[in-house]
Formats: sequence, C-alpha cells, structure tokens
Amino acid sequence: MTHLERARSWRPGPRLVSLLVGGGAAVLVLYPIAYLIQASLSVGDPQARPPEAYGLSNYTDLGRYAHIFGNTLLVAAMATVLAIVFGFAMGWILSRTNVPGRAAFEQLMALPYYVTPLMGALAWALIGSPTSGFVNQVWRALGGDGHLIDINTPWGIAWVMALFEGAVAFVMIGAVMKSMDPALEEASQVLGASRLRTMLRITLPLVLPGVLGAAIFVFAEMLGSFSAALVLGLPNRFYVVTTAMYQLVSQYPPRFPTAAAMGVSLFAVMFAMVWIYRRIVSGGSYATITGKAFRPRVMDVGRLRWPFLGLCLGYLGVAVILPVLTIVYASFQRLTTAFPRRDNFTLANYATALSLDAVRSALWNSLLLGLATASVGVVLMGFLSWLIYRSRLPGAGLIEYLLMFPQAVPRLVFAFGMLWAWLVFPIPIYGTLWLLLIAYLTVFLPLGLRTISGVILQIDRALEESAQMCGATWGYRLRTVTMPLLKPGLVAAWLLLFIASVRELGASILLMGPKSKVITPAIVESWFSTSSELTAALALLQTLAVAAALAIMFAVARRAVQAGGE
Amino acid sequence: MTDHPRTAVTRRGFLRTAALTTAAVPLARAMSASAQARTAAKVLDFQTLADVAKAEQEGEVVYYSHDGEAGIGVLLDSFKKDFPKIKTSYVRLQTGALYAKITAERSAGRFGVDVLQLSDISPAIDFQKRGGWEVHVSPELAAYKAEHQSGPAGHYTWGGVSFAGISYNRAKVKPEQAPKTWKDILNPAFKDGISAKLATSGMQHAQWYTLRKLYGNDFWQEFAKQRPKGFDARAQLFDRLSKGDDRMCVLAEYAGYTLFQEKGADIEFVAPADGLPATAFFIGVVNRAPHPEAAKLFVDWALSKRGQAVYQNQKILLYGSLRSDAPPMPTGKRLSDFKLLFPTDWNDYVASHPVFVKEWNSIMGL
Repeated sequence: MTHLERARSWRPGPRLVSLLVGGGAAVLVLYPIAYLIQASLSVGDPQARPPEAYGLSNYTDLGRYAHIFGNTLLVAAMATVLAIVFGFAMGWILSRTNVPGRAAFEQLMALPYYVTPLMGALAWALIGSPTSGFVNQVWRALGGDGHLIDINTPWGIAWVMALFEGAVAFVMIGAVMKSMDPALEEASQVLGASRLRTMLRITLPLVLPGVLGAAIFVFAEMLGSFSAALVLGLPNRFYVVTTAMYQLVSQYPPRFPTAAAMGVSLFAVMFAMVWIYRRIVSGGSYATITGKAFRPRVMDVGRLRWPFLGLCLGYLGVAVILPVLTIVYASFQRLTTAFPRRDNFTLANYATALSLDAVRSALWNSLLLGLATASVGVVLMGFLSWLIYRSRLPGAGLIEYLLMFPQAVPRLVFAFGMLWAWLVFPIPIYGTLWLLLIAYLTVFLPLGLRTISGVILQIDRALEESAQMCGATWGYRLRTVTMPLLKPGLVAAWLLLFIASVRELGASILLMGPKSKVITPAIVESWFSTSSELTAALALLQTLAVAAALAIMFAVARRAVQAGGE
Repeated sequence: MTDHPRTAVTRRGFLRTAALTTAAVPLARAMSASAQARTAAKVLDFQTLADVAKAEQEGEVVYYSHDGEAGIGVLLDSFKKDFPKIKTSYVRLQTGALYAKITAERSAGRFGVDVLQLSDISPAIDFQKRGGWEVHVSPELAAYKAEHQSGPAGHYTWGGVSFAGISYNRAKVKPEQAPKTWKDILNPAFKDGISAKLATSGMQHAQWYTLRKLYGNDFWQEFAKQRPKGFDARAQLFDRLSKGDDRMCVLAEYAGYTLFQEKGADIEFVAPADGLPATAFFIGVVNRAPHPEAAKLFVDWALSKRGQAVYQNQKILLYGSLRSDAPPMPTGKRLSDFKLLFPTDWNDYVASHPVFVKEWNSIMGL
C-alpha cells in the first residue's frame, strides 16, 4: 500500500476522536475558568484586567458571607429533596403504572420546565405574598386574619425552585425508567413482593444512577438558581449566593474578585457531589438493557390508579395551571389584585410588549439559539457521555469532573469568566450570537451529560462488544447499537437543551451584545424597570413562542418520519 | 450573526495598542481640537458639531445605558424619527455592570460603543480619568450651567435630573401617621414595612450622602433598626407599595410615583420639607467610537431642547431638564419648584462611595 493509499484509507480511531472532542470540551470549560480563578485571586483594583496583585484575601474574607452560604445550602437542599421526590414519584407513576391518561400526562409533566423560573416565581409571588398574594387576599375577605401562606420564606423559595427548576428531574428520571426492563419488577411480584416493596427494592436501586445523577444535577442547579431567590427572597431580606453575587457585580465598583471567590468556592461542593456519584455508580452494575429483548410494560396498580391520577393532576395544578392562569390574569391588569374590576382591565401590556423591537428580535434570536444549542449539544454531549462511560480512554473520569465545572458556578459569575476569556480570543465572535452559542454549549454540558449518561449506564457493554466481535468498527457500533438504544435519553436531552437555552438568563445578561439580544434578560429587565403586569405579558409571549416552535418542530419531525416510513 | 471589529487579541497586541494609544493622545487631542473648530450647524431646531452627512453615512449609533428597555426604546425611536438613516442599537445594564462591561471591552482593545449614559457620577469621573470620554463640547452646552458639565467641559454632561421623596400606601398608613420630614421615616410604627433601593443605585447613594450631611452619621444606623427591604429598581418599589406589600417607600422617585399613580395606585407622594435628594444621569461620546459623527449628533440631539423634551415628557423617563430654557415637566412643575438636595462637594461625594456601599449592604442585610 502506498503512502497515498494509506492516507486515503485512513479513518480516525476512537482514541484520536475522543481526545479531540474530550480535549476540546475541556478547553471550552477550562478557558473561562482560568480567568475566573485569576479574578478570584485579584487583590488590587477590582476592575484591573489583568489583576494588579494576587493574594488569597478574597477567600479568607468569605467568612463574613457565611449566613449567605448557609441560606444557599438550605434552600438548595430543600428544593432538591422536593424536586427528586416529585420527579421520582411522577416518573414512576407515568412510566411504570397504568394510571389513566398516562401518555397525555407524560407530555404535560414536562410543561413546568417550559415555564421560565422567573415566570413561576412571579406567579407564586402574586399567589402567595403575605399581603398582596391572591390566596391571602381571599383568606382575609373570608374573615381570616393575617396570611394563610407566605411564599417569601426559605420553604416558599425552595417550593418554587423545585417546581420550575427541578422539573428537569422528572425528564431525567423518566428517561431512565423507560429504559428499564420490566421483567425484573415482574419477577419480584411473581415471587410475592408487594408493589411498594418492588418499587423500593427493585425499581429504585436499578434507577439509582439516573436518580443520583438527577439529584446532583438538580442540587447544582439549585445552588445556581437566581430568579426565585431574587423575586421571593429580597422582600424578606433573604439572600443566597447568586443574589448576593448579582449585587456585588452590579455595584460600583463591581466586586468581581469577591463574587469570583464565592463562585469558585462552590467548586468544592460540586467536586464532592461528583465524587460521591462516581463512587456509587462504579460500585455496582445498573445495566437493564441487555441482549435480551424487552418491551417496557406497565404494572396494574388497581384502585391506586385514582390517587395516582389525583397526584398527577395536583402536581400539574400547582406547577402549571395555577401559575399560568395567574400570569394570564395579571397580564390583562393595570394593577393586579385578586378581585377583578372592569376599570382595571387593559390590553396595554400586550400592546407595549409587542411594540418593543428589541423584544421581537430577542425572541427570534432565542429560538434560533435554542435550536442550534440543542442540535449541536445532543451530538457533542452524547459523544462525551459515551467517551466517559464506554470508551475506556485514560482520563475519561477526569473529563467528567471538568465538564461538571459549569454547573458548580452560578452562570452569572461563569459569564464573567467567559466575557474576559472570549474578549481576547483571536476569533472575532464577541458580541455575536456565536459567542452565546459557545456559552450555552459550555454551561449546558452538565445538563446534557447527566441526562444522557443516566441512560448510557443502563446499556449493557456486552451489546457493543457483540457488535465488535462481529467486526463492526467503533463508529459503526456507536451509530447502529449505542445511539438507537440511547434514543430516549437523546430526545430528552434535546428537549431540555432547547428549553434551557431559550430561558437562559445568567450567562446571557453579560454576553449579549447590541445585536445579539435574547429574550429572558429582556423579561427580567422589564420586571426591574416597568411592572409585574408587563413582565407577565412578556413571559407569556415567550412561553407561547417556545410552545409554538416546539409544536412546529415536532409536527415536521413526525411528517418526516411518516414520509420515511412510506 | 454580526462580527464586530476588534483590534487586539494577544498580550503583546494589547500592550502595543496601549503604547500606541498613549502616543496617540496628543495627536487625538489635536484632531479633536480640529473637530471642535468646526462651526456648529443647525439641524432641525438644534445646533450640532457633527457632520450630519457623515453621520448618516456611518448609519448607526451604539448606545450603552442604565435606563430601562422601554425608556431606551422611546428615546431611540424619537432619535430615529429625526434621523431615519441612522440605525440604533443598545446594551442595557445597571450602571455597575454596564461600566464593568465597557471597561473590560476597552481593556481588550474592543471599541464598539458610541454613546455612554450612566446613572452615577463616580464611574463617569473614573471613565474620564481613564480617558474614556471623547472631548466633545456640544454647542448645546451653552444652555447648561458649568456645574452641570464635566470639568473640563466636553467629557460628559448632566443630561437630566431625577429626585426622590417619600411615598406611602394610603390604605396602610393613617393620615396622622403620614411622614412629613425625613426624620419621620425612623418612626418605629413603620418597622418591617419600609422599602428602599440597594447599593447598586446612584440615587440611593445620593440620598445616603445628603441626609447624612443633614442629620449626621447616626441617622442611617437608626434607620437600620427599621429592617428596610432593598430592591434594584423603582418599578419594584412602587409595584410593592401599590399592592400594600410595603407601607412606605423612602426612595420614592417622582417619575415612578407618577407612573403608578396613573395606573390607579392608592399612594401618596411626600416632598419632605427638608428637601429631596437628587441625582442626574451623565451622557457623553465615547472615544474611539466606531461611529463618531453619529455619536456626536446623538449627544447634541439628547442635550438639545428636542432631546430633552423626550427625556422630560415621556413618563417612562421623566428626567427634569437642567437646560436654562427648559419648559415645565408634564406635571406642570419645574425642577425649581422642588427643594432639591445635591451634594455640594463632589470629590467628597465620590470618595464616600465605598463607605456607602459597605454601610448600605449591611443595612439591607447583605
């Protein structure tokens, strides 16, 4: 074989491709983090770039914010427990039981994730504020005293965070449950175990990687949660790390070094979480998709179907129906009160919202970015999941640690690292949508990885090894064995990435330029500078636009599949 | 997707740019002087030093501002009506974050901004020290007192004034309890029912400074006992006040009050007899602007009677004009009808900023 022929027949090996993709992703994460760490060590003029002097005083001074770290861990833990309980219960009910309307509920359960956290927080502020909350107004009108509920407490904040930012847990756990062979549960029941015992002893241990992955992801998401703490915490002088950081970097002069030190210190929490996760998943086998064929089947839970139906309806009620109705109602009000008056009704909020040029272009940019982030992200993150859990590449574990970094730091602070990093990058993407695409792909790496890797761990390695024995190349194996089996995880990841991109706030605030605006910062800004009513109209328009875009995409995809089948 | 021009990408490049910039200062000054030598031309009904044909050829002005989206939209739409060949785009952030963004961009050699507007004089002065403003002595400055211009003139100008009194919810505060002076906000009856702004606000700094001068350092420590709640923007303050979530707002900007009163909120505005803390916004042309003529045209327009009418009459903005020939505000009142409290020593005011931030963060529980 000549050199030329050898060159022509050359195909990149798995090791080279893995190194390139894994290395590229690691650089994507580490590049801004290097700037963030540099800023956290700056002890001179806080605005000087590069820093004038280095030291550790920003870290040693963090003790004065101990109460804020305590608040953050408290609400993040409460919200994670709530989100995982909701996610697991709903995932199990809808994937494994014969609850009525299962298919429809499965679609509806993802709806809270479509509702932006800001919209959810605003809605619950209108519902549950101690004085002006609708529930409390009605309570007092009926003769009650004081307030019935107070959404401005840590529990209230955790509740809203769990409903709107923890909804991702349902999607992640649901994807894992769908990929589980029901024969194991059936065997348990045949052997006389009750339904509850089967769920606790068989189902739960088998979906453990997915549940743990979701728990770690959700906890980190809660650490970085911003909107709920901003809307509901400030009225009670309750700050968490993100709202404190927001204040620190918005003040003049902006205290980046303190904010960066706060952000970097959260890495320790995230490292500990990932370490625990890897210890647990490496200690057992969770493969439920093996060479043996199975069809996901559901259990007959008898009369329990009806309480389960009530649970599903209740969850939808508090996470979707009640907040959306509240926002719709508020968007038609001049000044929102619980009791409607004709003279308080107005269409002016919609007229204003639709008249803002910037909002229209921002909405379009957001949808475009959502599409690009989800499509590129699913391929990139699917490959990275395979690389980490299947490739046996040396250092794959290290790559997982690295790729979880963006989840450990609130995105607002991570955005400063990206701002400084990409400002000096030799390719002129600063101020363009390309920068936002790179930013989204970076900050959503953990989301994609956690969603897909929960399913990858359930696929028996033997399936790929059989293909290898039959002579399939690594690329062919990946395409024809692994990817089709990963389909539920990939579809869930695409959807999550799309929604997460459209509603992204923290990174976008700083990285968008005059011609690359996106919608969520515009909505938050409206809340700051106009009124809850106009903000409600904007948030509703955003939600409708996302729903419409998804409906069109699904319709096109369905038509394409049908056309392919004919 | 749009690419923006960039000029430096490496440390060496950055240093080279910095060296060239330093060397170019005298040249730029000479060029600037030459530009200033251009005679002012009348466009529409205002005077400008900008070459309007060139500005239209540039075709764009990029504006960085602290104002809300809706306010910026109104302002830029008005400019576009007058100059339809010039497109506008903007970035909106709170002053601290906005200033951080522009300084980070400039330190990386990126110069994409034409006009900068800030709500706090401290960063405006800092930007002047860093050589960030283009010296553009607008012919419209003739209508402004020297004390409302940068020293020396031409860096930035006080584009309009906002001031704050006390506002309360009439359903929550009995008439006999209604505050009349600033000392009344210390009444323990209002504990846990008071709102103000956070330390991100230039107006809050002005209030802290001027009332501290009036009533001494202990005033705000007494106020801290009321456990006030802090928010970022006036819309939030009035939203909560109107709904009864707070009984009293102690940084009640008049512009916010009129907006919510029009919506039917049952709130009252009190102009305390001891005066109303006031602050301005500061506007100027940024040096190395990508569209220099359009930038000058925009600033001349913004400072003119025509531009000031937009700032002053649009209720989403409602900044009182400092022009000597300014008409009354839409409420029928002039700035001179209010007893405004401005800091008298600006150096002391700017120097007090770190003390303010530390004390105010502590008062607000941060």
